[in-house]
Amino acid sequence: MMPIRRVLAIVAATAGLAAAAAGPGSSERATLLAAEISAGADHISAPELADRIMRREPTLQIFDLRSASEYEQLHIATARQASIETLAREHPSADATIVLYSEGSTHAAQSWVLLRLRGYRHVYVLREGLYEWIARVLEPRLAVDATAAERAEFERAAEHSRFFGGVPLADVARSEVPVGYWTSGRTVPVDSTKQAVAGIRRRGC
Amino acid sequence: MTTPLTETGALGSVGELLVAPLIGFGFGWFLERGGLGHAPKLAGQFYLTDLTVFKVMFTALVTAMLGAFWLDQIGLLDLRLVYVPETFVVPQAVGGIVFGAGFLIGGLCPGTSCVAAATGRLDGLGVIGGMLAGIAVFNTMFDRIATFYQSTALGAVTLTDLAGVSRGLGVACITVMALAGFALAARLERVRR
Repeated sequence: MMPIRRVLAIVAATAGLAAAAAGPGSSERATLLAAEISAGADHISAPELADRIMRREPTLQIFDLRSASEYEQLHIATARQASIETLAREHPSADATIVLYSEGSTHAAQSWVLLRLRGYRHVYVLREGLYEWIARVLEPRLAVDATAAERAEFERAAEHSRFFGGVPLADVARSEVPVGYWTSGRTVPVDSTKQAVAGIRRRGC
Repeated sequence: MTTPLTETGALGSVGELLVAPLIGFGFGWFLERGGLGHAPKLAGQFYLTDLTVFKVMFTALVTAMLGAFWLDQIGLLDLRLVYVPETFVVPQAVGGIVFGAGFLIGGLCPGTSCVAAATGRLDGLGVIGGMLAGIAVFNTMFDRIATFYQSTALGAVTLTDLAGVSRGLGVACITVMALAGFALAARLERVRR
């Protein structure tokens, strides 16, 4: 029979070496998630999402967390409608890139936390929700007095817009371009998204 | 998270006061049963003839470390609530030298001196007396040494913080070091006896 001392040494060696392969502990996970959120690593911009959809990234999965009727009215191409409850029952592959959006409700952010706690590493919330998708992908705007850098960015945005069936709006008055449009430094009220979606419908896009 | 019980308030203040002496008595009992109330046995580690102290302390350290790490992994312990003493590099290095010198001269450390005294050993009582005198002198002189005492502060850091590695890797390294140390200690004891 193996001496007890040797058995204990084997148990300690197993538990110790397995620790190297273990992920962050339960007390560290919240801290790491907070650091990710603070660094903005939990967000994806609308133009970047558009690029990923156009590249047909095989691991990309987009979830629209608004109501079914709002989803029917307008949604991002390839997105699936889900609620916070149905998303909890989804089982994307472990390496999936998951993008969540809503229209300013907290469900996208809450779902981000739930998915990260389930171990999904590539989870992002669409910055500013559907509003940014409309404003920067479907209907990019270029002020009549735009700078050269803004014009270059607009060309890229216009390409996105045409791909997704939108309408690029060139040479509009500066006042029609929201403050912080090119820097995304604004906070959008929920009503803005609803107005933007309603505007899209009026043009029959 | 269900532990630490004292931090989550599960024990209550009365419960904490009742549990503390129980843990203390348990600790003392096992120190005595391990022969650590006997000064020559403790002094043996400085002459590399008896490394019981090293083995007992490192066993306690590795057991606590592995237990804390895996309990945190399964969500039973919130390590953020476990107190981490602040580090003051130079004052603590000096304190370590003073402690080591006292350990070598007296043959006992604070815990084992209490164990020795409890079993009626006069050297244990002598070390406790010296310890209390040292505490009195330290507190009397504290205003004069306060600047030094608070110098080279690093805050509540851990080895893995300083090394910039994950907690799990740190646990694995210390476990391997401890097991290698046990094997080396056993070989040294065989050679020196």
